Amino acid sequence: MKSREPGDEDAGLPAGTEQSDLELVRRAQQNERGAFDLLVLKYQHKVIKLVARLLRDPTEAEDVAQEAFVKAYRALGSFRGDSAFYTWLYRIAVNTARNSIASRQRRPLDYEVELSESEQNNVAARLKHDDTPEATVLSEEIRQTVNEAIELLPEDLRTAIVLREIEGLSYEEIATAMDCPVGTVRSRIFRAREAIDRALKPLLD
Amino acid sequence: MTDQIREQLSALLDGELPRDEMGLLMRRLDKDPELRRTFGNYALIGETLRAPGGRIAAPSLAARVSAAIGEAPAIVGKTSTAGPAATVELPQHVALWKRPIVRTALAASAAVTAVLLIRPDVTQVAQLEVTPASSFAMSASPTPAQSQRLAGYLVAHSQFSTPMVRRNLLSSLLAADPGITRVSYEMGQAP
Amino acid sequence: MSRAAVCVAACLLAFSARAEDDARAWIERMSESLATRNYDGLFTHSTGRQAETMRIVHRVDNGKSFERLVSLDGSGREIVRTREEVHAYLPDRRVVIVEPRGDDGSLLKSLPTPGPALDRNYQLAVGPKGGRLLGREVRVIDVRPKDIYRYGYRLWLDEDTAMPLQSIVTNGIGNPIEVIRFTQLQMKDRIPAHDIEPTVDATGFQWIRTGRKLAAMPQLPSNGGWRPLRLPPGFRLVASRLQPIPGSPMPAQHLIFSDGIAAISIFIEPGAQTGPRPPETSSMGSANAYSTSVHGHVVTAIGEVPAATVREIANSVVPVEGFEVPADSPASSAR
Repeated sequence: MKSREPGDEDAGLPAGTEQSDLELVRRAQQNERGAFDLLVLKYQHKVIKLVARLLRDPTEAEDVAQEAFVKAYRALGSFRGDSAFYTWLYRIAVNTARNSIASRQRRPLDYEVELSESEQNNVAARLKHDDTPEATVLSEEIRQTVNEAIELLPEDLRTAIVLREIEGLSYEEIATAMDCPVGTVRSRIFRAREAIDRALKPLLD
Repeated sequence: MTDQIREQLSALLDGELPRDEMGLLMRRLDKDPELRRTFGNYALIGETLRAPGGRIAAPSLAARVSAAIGEAPAIVGKTSTAGPAATVELPQHVALWKRPIVRTALAASAAVTAVLLIRPDVTQVAQLEVTPASSFAMSASPTPAQSQRLAGYLVAHSQFSTPMVRRNLLSSLLAADPGITRVSYEMGQAP
Repeated sequence: MSRAAVCVAACLLAFSARAEDDARAWIERMSESLATRNYDGLFTHSTGRQAETMRIVHRVDNGKSFERLVSLDGSGREIVRTREEVHAYLPDRRVVIVEPRGDDGSLLKSLPTPGPALDRNYQLAVGPKGGRLLGREVRVIDVRPKDIYRYGYRLWLDEDTAMPLQSIVTNGIGNPIEVIRFTQLQMKDRIPAHDIEPTVDATGFQWIRTGRKLAAMPQLPSNGGWRPLRLPPGFRLVASRLQPIPGSPMPAQHLIFSDGIAAISIFIEPGAQTGPRPPETSSMGSANAYSTSVHGHVVTAIGEVPAATVREIANSVVPVEGFEVPADSPASSAR
């Protein structure tokens, strides 16, 4: 990457999530299967969203996502960590989606401007009559549940989780911002997640 | 204490779990599907906050991946017991300022809510009034992202920034950056 | 307090006031240099995930500014600001995005004049003389936000030209989120016109162009009929305009707010006929955007401020009372 000049002010960025991902990758590379499972659990929603956008037929998203993850697992030996894991996974997912489209001989859905209005309506209609309509409705309920649960949280828990999930601050940065120890930050974020998870349980069971 | 374990899960998701605690946690996760589900739910919460609505993965996806991998051979090729050491150069973060200004903002009691509620400037009385926080008004159904529209917005917006900020914004547009972790927006990024 | 103490206190106050003026003056000089001089340079743009090298060519001719930015590694993307338009060439997508230039290209208008209200929201500081970067003498300017709704800046300005040899965007805690550093910079007396021409071969690219002629809009109040109920302190409406949208006769309403350093845009456009979109957060470098649906319209807030800020602002946008939210049919605009 870039070389450092002596006396340069270090302009680095917090890399907690990336280091943690790399650690999981390292373990997976040493055949700790549970480690790769965690990476799937962490990024599955992102990959599904990404793939669903690229495919003309969103009902294929689950299959393509699964294929992408399997490809990633098989290629894990060649991942050297010079980019973030998700960056690497992202490229694999996009390629997998592209190949699946090519094999069905359709044009990739890159820019919505290419769709005529009637085509847009068709896509929407298909989404409504999805093979998994529950997934669509469920995601909306999840959104509402999460938002309501967040609003009900006590101030300090809500602040902590918002700074973490939306602003992407590290625990240390949040501790500075909230003027409390790092351990308190970790506990607050955990309690916030627990409260929201409890609210989600009836939906996801 | 299962609470303690779940707190470790929460820290793991944020990349804040000390390495030496990972081993035990991983072994627990291997044995306990409930713990894995919890981890998945925590990840889902984050995704929902950053990009509410839209598709989510079906609960069966992780299991299907696991099953499919079970049929695949174990990883071959470059593995090293030492881990991906030499080539990984992650920058360390360095605070530029010793005394963070934000502490004063958050110290005020009302300001703790400031993360979600921005107080209006009283000098703009003609335009603004104080309102209570409202939850999201609209229900949403998934449609494809209008990513290139956002690029157009960014360019239009940049015309009104100061010259330096405009240059920064346009540079960001030039940079290929597909690995934005907290974002659901994928504009113009080539694999 | 003794007279001496009062005097000392007064002197310190005067000194710090002068220091703030000093910082403001440096920032104005910097903006003026960036906007009015001819230069050609290479810089690295990094967000911690990766660093990219880019070239910038800035040309001033007959009181108008032109500019070309190109990524030299990675994407190969290029942005050219011509007299009338901004062209963004995306070879990885084989697409050119064309936007009309919001300003008229004239130099005076492009210079911001951060007012005295700036001090209410930012703390400005100038470092001592004697710093060096790239073999040049530089001064370090600190622009620290006083709240968590905006970003801060640390600038290394060339002592002679006030060009920002290095600039770092920082979050509310002082941690860097974007770094732009020149590795080469030439100030020139003149720049040949062809240096501003794009180098990307755009044959076969799709041109995504917004409509030239907008359908006549019904009379709108100066804020366009929409307003955000919540804005961080110090942000004022500085402009209101229409933003044409590709493939649509109805433009988006574009409101621009600024606190003198940061700008936030709010775009309101008619929603898709297929129904409201889910809200989305996006970020590019130090810019964040948040889109959500309000009354059948899509509201997007975008700016060089933290994500939570644009989210709150977008979520607080409402139609102005008494203003009829326009239906998105071309018929309503045929006057």
